[in-house]
Amino acid sequence: MIIDQNKIDETIKIIKANGGHGIQKCVQCGACSAICPGVKAGFPLLCRALIKDLLNGLLEENIENSSSWGCQACNRCTEVCPQGVRPQEVVFAFRRYQANELAFSTSAVTSQMNLYETGHAVFTDPKEARRKVGLPEETPTSAFNEAAQQEIRTLMDNSPMGELGLF
Amino acid sequence: MAKVGVYVCHCGSNIAGVIDVSAVRDFAESLPDVVIARKDLFMCSDSGQEMVKQDVRDGLVDRVVVAACTPRTHEPIFRAAIEKAGLNKYLFEMANIRDQASWVHGNDHEGATEKAKLVVASAVGKARHLQPLHDKFVDVTNAALVIGAGIGGISAALELANMGHKTYLVEKEPSIGGIMAQLDKTFPTNDCSACILTPMMVQAFNHPNIETLAYSEVADVDGYIGNFNVKVRQKQTYIDWKKCTGCGDCADKCPSKTPDLFNGSLSDRRAAYIMFPQAVPKKAVVDIEHCLNCAGRTIGTQPKINEKTGKAILAPCERACRAGAIDRSLPLDPGGTIKEIKVGSIVVTTGYQVMDKGWFKEMAPASPNVITALQLERLISATGPTGGKLLRPSDNEKPHTMTFVSCVGSRDVNFHTHCSRFCCMYMIKQARLLKEKYPDLVINMHFIDVRSAGKGYDEYYTGAREMGINFFKGKVGGLEILPGDQLRVLAYDMEAGQSIEYSSDLVILATAVELPPDATALAQKLGLQFCGNDFFRELHPKLGPVETAVAGLFIAGCCQGPKDIPDTVSQAKGAAAAAAVPLAQGRVKIEATISEIDSQKCSGCGICEPLCPYHAISMRDYTDRARGVIERHAVIEMSSCKGCGVCTSACPSAAIKLHGYEDEQIYAQIAALTA
Ligand SMILES: Cc1cc2nc3c(=O)[nH]c(=O)nc-3n(C[C@H](O)[C@H](O)[C@H](O)COP(=O)(O)OP(=O)(O)OC[C@H]3O[C@@H](n4cnc5c(N)ncnc54)[C@H](O)[C@@H]3O)c2cc1C
Ligand code: SF4
Ligand code: SF4
Ligand code: SF4
Ligand code: SF4
Repeated sequence: MIIDQNKIDETIKIIKANGGHGIQKCVQCGACSAICPGVKAGFPLLCRALIKDLLNGLLEENIENSSSWGCQACNRCTEVCPQGVRPQEVVFAFRRYQANELAFSTSAVTSQMNLYETGHAVFTDPKEARRKVGLPEETPTSAFNEAAQQEIRTLMDNSPMGELGLF
Repeated sequence: MAKVGVYVCHCGSNIAGVIDVSAVRDFAESLPDVVIARKDLFMCSDSGQEMVKQDVRDGLVDRVVVAACTPRTHEPIFRAAIEKAGLNKYLFEMANIRDQASWVHGNDHEGATEKAKLVVASAVGKARHLQPLHDKFVDVTNAALVIGAGIGGISAALELANMGHKTYLVEKEPSIGGIMAQLDKTFPTNDCSACILTPMMVQAFNHPNIETLAYSEVADVDGYIGNFNVKVRQKQTYIDWKKCTGCGDCADKCPSKTPDLFNGSLSDRRAAYIMFPQAVPKKAVVDIEHCLNCAGRTIGTQPKINEKTGKAILAPCERACRAGAIDRSLPLDPGGTIKEIKVGSIVVTTGYQVMDKGWFKEMAPASPNVITALQLERLISATGPTGGKLLRPSDNEKPHTMTFVSCVGSRDVNFHTHCSRFCCMYMIKQARLLKEKYPDLVINMHFIDVRSAGKGYDEYYTGAREMGINFFKGKVGGLEILPGDQLRVLAYDMEAGQSIEYSSDLVILATAVELPPDATALAQKLGLQFCGNDFFRELHPKLGPVETAVAGLFIAGCCQGPKDIPDTVSQAKGAAAAAAVPLAQGRVKIEATISEIDSQKCSGCGICEPLCPYHAISMRDYTDRARGVIERHAVIEMSSCKGCGVCTSACPSAAIKLHGYEDEQIYAQIAALTA
């Protein structure tokens, strides 16, 4: 690995601009990774490992890495971190960077599309199943409410997500 | 007319990097009564001082203003210089154009230069009105007080006593010894703690120059370096220590049980108890909060009489004591007794406490098998609750897998940001001792990083690796309670980049070192301040490590910051040496810049008396024989006055003069600043 101060500075700037303000407080103690369900599930580049790579300036190099999408936003890392890093915010900042560069995982793109269309990130047609158990076919949610869907679309079109041109 | 000399310092680039020193010098020259204005790269250097001295010797100047850095560090230097040249040292004034101008206005060179001119003008204004003053001296009480008798306090007291000074050693617990008395063995040589500590405890207790006041606390302090008046409250023991032989029979018979804090609450002790087997003094006390008042024997009441035998019905402790040291019919004052002592200097060595596991919700504090490292010391000590056998608290079974968790509450912005400094080493010590004794025991140690700075310390650590103790870099994230009182350890291996999860029988938390809560009250009594890490603050982090802001008051050991035994002893001996200085000198100087009351002007209103934060003012009656009346005046005890000026500004009769800060001097400063 080559230590390139410009790359390090640039990476930290981008992560902070995207909300990962605490990144430089990290002392690499590993407590976050000890309790992270994502790390346990086999996403290696989460919490402290992701922070370490970013502190080394490895931003573009990791752009296709899908570990960040394994974060459950459970925030246990934030709870145990002794330095007030708020690792989850760093993970999300990295995700925002990935999203801005359109480096989505397929699953992430699908869930964004679902959200835009139905108001649910994960959506399967429930009609069949509901009819079988004698429930009204349509759920009382945005999925079957055109006005609610319109509201959600307006919100998304006007958010940074709209600027990505996915929808 | 005064002849003022002004000397402006560049302080390398500290001042000259921002301020136009030549402009300030030119300006100074134009001020009234200024006869000479010079500048130099470093005024405090030999050549800089020589320049001032020469001008004094040549009779050119009789008032000196140095425009430089802070009087806190440099005023004494320049005062000494002009004194050497033959001028009264109080004919000196410092203009702090570094802290007050160049440092705080680094981005505004012009503004800083203008401000520096004002600061100089103000100092010159005052200097024109300075009067010669003379220091006074008071005799010193040749005795010292050491508060807190852990290894730090014992070391300091022995040092002072061996120098020939009478030393009072005050300890709040029934025995001296401190936390070292609770330890099993000590790193890095593994010598038994009691074996090296007990002889020192005995030596201190028997020393002809040391008076040990155990089970005592400082109730009140007043006075000043050389002459402190201290009230020590000797807590009520409810047992006559003159008669108590330390046999422990009362404790054997006492039915009341309460957690034994000395054993980390891993076992119980009685209400009547001796603190630990090697206690010094070896005396029993009754912990009255937990006393059951057996046989209706509340303190100060006569015993009931057995109708059949006609004998008094005594409490078990009274009956057990063959020395007759327990007599519950005596009306003993629960407040204890106050002993007044006079000392010339004070050393504070009140030590530390470790954080309770209850603070750490993610570390399964509810499990009996999660204990602090200090509790483990008791668990492996031969005098501990298990006689030195490693048995886990939940079921008294021998653990197979055991876990050490470092930095619990230390290096953590939620608790203490400081490193507790000796935990890495004692955890390695405990692991080594256990691995030696139980080779089959699996020991997993989890560190953020191992801090083993010190002679022989790193070798101690690397040696532990060779003994088959497992080291993992990575802080433990949490513990979960599993069936069978097992603990699931959620850890991480930094080097491998993998999470670790396993079941452990016993988990040791190295909890943070902090001041005990009663340290705050003591600090208020003594005038001690706290540092950023909430330990007692030393005068200077590098050059005044044992001194404090209060003259004659010194600190050492863990109350100043976490440190191990070798460092505690070194610092304690250093503090003792510093505390011996005023005692050896026999008299202390009272700076002349203190307040004085003009009895002719004093109306005796008494407004000043309660205002003085140092209790230096008292009201006294005088008989004016000529007029045949009794008059009241305020008087200031000069050894207590610190020259704060509160009384001066409050006196409605303008009877109080603060030397060195007299009205006309201060008005001259204001006039210069507002010109
Ligand atoms: C688990 C553990 C293991 C350790 N193992 C080692 C080791 O192997 N080797 C090593 O070098 N160090 C070790 N240490 C560190 C060691 O305990 C300290 O260095 C040492 O105890 C510091 O001594 P001290 O005198 O400053 O404080 P303390 O030991 O805390 O003594 C302070 C004394 O002052 C008394 N006191 C407190 N407040 C007052 C008051 N207001 N009035 C009167 N008296 C008061 C207390 O009762 C106590 O007796 C260990 C620490 C722990 C927690
Ligand atoms: S918030 Fe994300 S990174 Fe943090 S512990 Fe949960 S899954 Fe891991
Ligand atoms: S817990 Fe905090 S300090 Fe420790 S590695 Fe994770 S982010 Fe860094
Ligand atoms: S009266 Fe004596 S024996 Fe009874 S509880 Fe109190 S101290 Fe113990
Ligand atoms: S100046 Fe006055 S108020 Fe201040 S310490 Fe001296 S006597 Fe007390």
